[in-house]
Amino acid sequence: MSVDSELFESMRLELRRGSLVLAVLARLREERYGYTLRQALASDGLEMEESTLYPLLRRLENQGLLTSEWREEERRKKRFYRLSPMGEAMLSALAGEWRGINASLDKIL
Amino acid sequence: MDLIDRYLNAVAAQLPQDERADIIAELRDLILSRFEAKEEELGRALTEDEQEAILHEIGHPLVVAARYRKGPDSLVGPELFPYWLFAVKAGLLLMLAVQAIVLLIHLISGPADAGQAIAQAFHGFIGTGLWLVGAATVAAAAFEHYGVRPKWLTSWRVKDLGAFELADPAAWGATVGASPRVKLWTAPKVKVKGWPGGDYLFSFLATGLFVLWWVGIIHFPGLMHIDFRGAEATVTGAPIWTTLYGAILFYAVAQMAVDLASLARPYAVRMRAAAEVVIAGAGLWLTWTIFEAGHWFTLTRDGETARIAGDWVLLDFDLLRSLGEGTRDLVGVASSLSLIMTWVLALSAIGLVFKIVANLWRLVQRDPRAVA
Repeated sequence: MSVDSELFESMRLELRRGSLVLAVLARLREERYGYTLRQALASDGLEMEESTLYPLLRRLENQGLLTSEWREEERRKKRFYRLSPMGEAMLSALAGEWRGINASLDKIL
Repeated sequence: MDLIDRYLNAVAAQLPQDERADIIAELRDLILSRFEAKEEELGRALTEDEQEAILHEIGHPLVVAARYRKGPDSLVGPELFPYWLFAVKAGLLLMLAVQAIVLLIHLISGPADAGQAIAQAFHGFIGTGLWLVGAATVAAAAFEHYGVRPKWLTSWRVKDLGAFELADPAAWGATVGASPRVKLWTAPKVKVKGWPGGDYLFSFLATGLFVLWWVGIIHFPGLMHIDFRGAEATVTGAPIWTTLYGAILFYAVAQMAVDLASLARPYAVRMRAAAEVVIAGAGLWLTWTIFEAGHWFTLTRDGETARIAGDWVLLDFDLLRSLGEGTRDLVGVASSLSLIMTWVLALSAIGLVFKIVANLWRLVQRDPRAVA
């Protein structure tokens, strides 16, 4: 039986939503700015709209998981993000959680 | 640049002052990066249409700004929504009932322009209905914004769920009809009710609507007018209502207070019974005073007046039976309404007496819950 594409799309989004935060945190172990971060995620196979990525980065920074600074590069000011110490701790905690979920699902599927 | 500036200005207008510059700078960087990437791909500068297409992809300014908003995403969030929905439905149904009764009175006294009466009732319903939905939404939005969760939302018990069958109007009739005095008449056997709160909630809302009308906050258009074959007659209150204005308001508010207390403590039966005895006693005094005043309303039409008044003489079953046979002129209608009003007062008094008796009974009962 074939899949209803609209339903699949919405369920797929739900599935991806949680993992995106983990991906962003993992990618920011090294310093990036918004655009290159998006490129990196895209090349990892995780497409994410900038318009959702930027507010997410802002929120993560407000939560203390990221630090940022404005720097001039190629004649333009860009905002560079990287993990804060608390962010590093959160990343390893979440990564452990993720591996656990993965293992459980592997057994079921 | 002009295109980007106009777009960013639209976004900026929706953002809070302190973060505006920062977010806009970020967005500008995002847009320019996207433009650059596209230009690289095409090997040339972008046309305005292509630029606009990219801005479109990023999103409408309102939507983009919204992503940066802190705080709840919706006016009435998913947690509060079911309660909001119920409150609105219950309120609207209640209002519909009141409007229907008003409409009925009109149609009895002057079918000359039933169409207009119905139109007026409809208009009134829409007006007050919208007000009600607005008030409920503002309250829910306030709860949502400040993260308030009243206790009855978070700690409820299954046995308290009886009231929520009330969303079905058919069930309302059953609940109201099953009020204490009727039960005393028909089946004084011990019966354990689910949640007595259903009655209290209904009483609270109904009395609340009355209070709002009494102090003039809401209006039921057409309530104080009766149609006679085209010419409208106005209903004005007799002096007795001005005299008793404060007393009636106090009575209604007291009733609401007791209902509210009972909602909070549905099983404090003795407390409620005692309060109800006092209130019913006050109600009985009010009814008596109104009855004794004799004159209740005046119908006026084109300078002609007729009084709606009555006394003991009208408490005659024969008169009641001949109710519909009166003339349709001003005097005739006034006397019909006088008869109705007299009986309404008398029956209210009887009802209040039963209420007092029932509540006294509850006070002396060994286990009040069984009779609640």
